[in-house]
Amino acid sequence: MDITIINPLIASFTDILPQIGFSSVERRSISLVGSTLDYDGILVHISLVGVLKGAVLIGMSLDSAKLFASKMMMGMSVTEFDLLAQSAISEMGNMVCANACTQFSQVGITGLDISPPLLLIGRNGQATLPVPQTIAINFTVDSIDINVYVGLIQSK
Amino acid sequence: MSVVKVMVVDDSFFSRTLIAETLRLGGCEVVGEADSFDSLLETYNNCKPDIVTMDIVMPGADGFECSRALLLNDPSAKIILVSSMKDEETELEAKRIGIVGYVQKPIDGDHLIKVIKNTLSPDSLYEQLIELGLETFNEALSQNITRMTKTPVTFVPMDTFETNYVSQGITTVIGIIGRHSGSMIIDLSTEAADKMVEVLLRRPSKSREEVLAMVAELANIVAGVACSMLNKKDKTYSLRVSPPSVFCSTNTEIASPNLKIQASYAQTTFGPIFLGIGFKKGATSWI
Repeated sequence: MDITIINPLIASFTDILPQIGFSSVERRSISLVGSTLDYDGILVHISLVGVLKGAVLIGMSLDSAKLFASKMMMGMSVTEFDLLAQSAISEMGNMVCANACTQFSQVGITGLDISPPLLLIGRNGQATLPVPQTIAINFTVDSIDINVYVGLIQSK
Repeated sequence: MSVVKVMVVDDSFFSRTLIAETLRLGGCEVVGEADSFDSLLETYNNCKPDIVTMDIVMPGADGFECSRALLLNDPSAKIILVSSMKDEETELEAKRIGIVGYVQKPIDGDHLIKVIKNTLSPDSLYEQLIELGLETFNEALSQNITRMTKTPVTFVPMDTFETNYVSQGITTVIGIIGRHSGSMIIDLSTEAADKMVEVLLRRPSKSREEVLAMVAELANIVAGVACSMLNKKDKTYSLRVSPPSVFCSTNTEIASPNLKIQASYAQTTFGPIFLGIGFKKGATSWI
């Protein structure tokens, strides 16, 4: 997979998060992994369909997810990862991916659409994306560690 | 229909006045106005409108940013973009965010009122999709398991999962796009998947990858067949599916906080298979 394919997604992540209450979005690392990856905590899953197809996963630990949701809700205390917190994190995933599609269109990849977000909450899980290789990007967002996995291929 | 309460968001005093006047002439009540992001949420929460009209180009936060903030504040907010900009990509971005309609400036009053009425009236195609959706996906799953393994399938309906669903072991998720975007979930135990592979290949599975590939392919076929069946009922659905993502873990909870999922349990010779399907009402007023 051409690694520059993820630039619009990175741009979207760094554009959108400051709009929803975060002050610092730092990209720590990018790596190429296989189609299968381990997760522990939460994963937001969003599919992309169009000239590119596949999925984007946004993952973090459960404690990080509570902290993240709390920041999104202007500091409201989040002790349980309840429906409100789940809804906030899902909406963040939707916003990032929706905006990424717009960023893709600015580099000539038009007409992409996304599915609604689904949330997976679990321990010691494995995710397999429908691509031979996945790009893993690690961000630190206001001291919260977040992994974004991008598995996209060109549609035939 | 009772009087429709509308909030107008536009940085231009003239545009706000013009839109408000157009709305009043059309029988709506203008319950609030905001000229920027600063007063947006407070005005919205105070006046609780049925509809928000939203300009795109504004100083500071633009209409998309304001719409995201409104939808985060109230996911049921119904926002109609009112802008001089109207091109395919702007429309697509608006749809992806969850904006329900789009009207180009200069405003044609009758058109704006029509879009508002469409937004608030029941969407018969969406209702048909919700009515037929689960039944169609059940049929596609049943057909394929019966054809592939020559074993019967019956269904036990489940209530929409209000609380999170706990995976039996292997979960496949397929995204759906089209007039209404959605998601399909298929979940079964590793044992059930192993047994199914054994029947299909006439030998035990050689690896976990083989089992996961079979589950992904089953989900792919079910989603593809079901969406084709729905597209045949009404071609304007234009449903298309993403390739499947597969998750393995017992005790993983699956949550869909912003999309209502209808679900059933397929009772098969191999064990129960959970099937969940949900479609977003989304954009309906792109006329």
